[in-house]
Amino acid sequence: MSNCVMNTFIRVVEVWVPGPDRTLLEFSAGLYGSASRFGAISRQMCFGRGEGLPGQAWEAGCPIVLSQFEGSTFRRTKAAQAEGLTCGIALPIFAGDFLCAVLVIFCGDDDAHAGAIELWSNDPTTSKDMTLTDGYYGTTADAFEFISRRTAFRKGHGLPGMAWESRLPVFIEDLGKGAGFLRGDSAVKVGINRGFAIPCSALGGTEYVMAFLSALNTPIVRRFETWLPVGHGDAARLLRSGGFCEAEGTVGESAVDETVEPGQGSLGRAFITGVPALSEAAASEPGAVGAVARDAGLQSLVALPVLRAGRLVSVVAWYF
Amino acid sequence: MIVTTTPNINTTRTLQIRDAGMVFSTQRGPFVALRDINLEVMRGEFVTLIGHSGCGKSTLLNLVSGLTTPTSGVLLLEERELKGPGPDRGVVFQNHSLLPWLSCLDNVLLAVERVFGEREGKSQLRERALAALELVGMSHAVAKRPQEISGGMKQRVGIARALAMEPKMLLMDEPFGALDALTRARLQDELLKIVATTGATVMMVTHDVDEAVLLSDRIVMMTNGPAATIGEVLRVDLPRPRDRVALAEDRAYVQYRKAVIDFLYTRHSHVEKAA
Repeated sequence: MSNCVMNTFIRVVEVWVPGPDRTLLEFSAGLYGSASRFGAISRQMCFGRGEGLPGQAWEAGCPIVLSQFEGSTFRRTKAAQAEGLTCGIALPIFAGDFLCAVLVIFCGDDDAHAGAIELWSNDPTTSKDMTLTDGYYGTTADAFEFISRRTAFRKGHGLPGMAWESRLPVFIEDLGKGAGFLRGDSAVKVGINRGFAIPCSALGGTEYVMAFLSALNTPIVRRFETWLPVGHGDAARLLRSGGFCEAEGTVGESAVDETVEPGQGSLGRAFITGVPALSEAAASEPGAVGAVARDAGLQSLVALPVLRAGRLVSVVAWYF
Repeated sequence: MIVTTTPNINTTRTLQIRDAGMVFSTQRGPFVALRDINLEVMRGEFVTLIGHSGCGKSTLLNLVSGLTTPTSGVLLLEERELKGPGPDRGVVFQNHSLLPWLSCLDNVLLAVERVFGEREGKSQLRERALAALELVGMSHAVAKRPQEISGGMKQRVGIARALAMEPKMLLMDEPFGALDALTRARLQDELLKIVATTGATVMMVTHDVDEAVLLSDRIVMMTNGPAATIGEVLRVDLPRPRDRVALAEDRAYVQYRKAVIDFLYTRHSHVEKAA
């Protein structure tokens, strides 16, 4: 992420995995971009259950948005602040009750980084609505946050509701025109133009959806792709089903139907392990993934597995 | 800074709609008007249903009033299944539905007698009817017949009739839709006062975005029909009592209004495409 031509709203991504005895979360991989000192400190750390941001997500069994480091259990406050990072989001990935990993994302709150990340949830025992649990809105106008906090979506409606119903990642290229994005006008007014939402695995019956809302000058990521598992046994593959590239627009039909074999590159590793895989050299990825990165000048890659009830339902690729 | 207050809403559920659907039999086959309707209304809450024509708002209100029965799902009023119309739900229609040959007082008295007639004497019933008319500012016209009073006044009598029954819920189907803008605004203000005084639980159908934001604790936005359902629910955290003049420039009010217009605009363009 350090050499990105374009700023992205997500500035740091790291992966924490349970150690061999499953008592601690250990550092697995990180993309730190310009926040190299923060990366150096993080690489030395580990977290027990309930400790720090990754440990909190493990303990809570659900995603956590931490928009205020000071006064929280966050253990890297000074290092994060020194790099201009002001918000952390921890996304635990559970295969059933088994924690595979915790993906942690950091964003910065300054004029150069506009966008929003929202965590939506529904407890089916108490409500039919999906409501905002927490959100990080960066420098976007608080009008959008104000309405988001008072809006409840039904299954299939709005960006969170669509991901909730389909149980798959959902991408809306132009929120202003998207009939599915019900806060479209407010979003466009504050510069948010694209959105994607990912259903999150969590313990208990509550359903979670993480929505990423992207501004024109600082997209959440530079390219977003959804890959779906197809076939069984030896024939199992990941199939690219769609996506969007800030440089090239909607991923064209020629790029759809590309496949990745289990274990092949970062996506293939995420496919077979259920653990997010990161690459600092996306252009070196095998096959279609590397070709795309080379063509579009993309530097790094996050392959995020989306699991539901212990099964992998898709792998999301973020390119920076 | 946006100031919000919690409205005077009890956490007791007055109404529960669970997985309700409505399919009408037509000559062309079944017509799915509503599907998957799930909604809870708390005691003292003011909920409006908004959406484009044909989205099933009135059908939903009719299910709650008991005038029609859902083809699927169930509706519960204070934990008891609704199986038809009853005095526990006072209904105010767009058309005032007053009996033209009776005075305002007798129109209200008719409803009061139905509910309380077996338990109370004539003088008590009359007092109830008069009190309800006073509540809506119609004490001066108790002896007048509907044709002798204005449209706004007729609606006030209709509201008085519904309130006089002390219903668990007040159901209003575009009650001010046929009135001119000034009369409508005045009646909206009076309804705000009445609701504040009585603590009534209200479900109201409207097309008017301003009316919805001004009156509601929650705005339930319906998707387009056929097979309409609830798409989005907006919680309106504006402090009460609400003053329409002050709210016109209130930042939060403007944002709520815009959020509803966003929804309707998006849906409206969808309708045009479909057409």
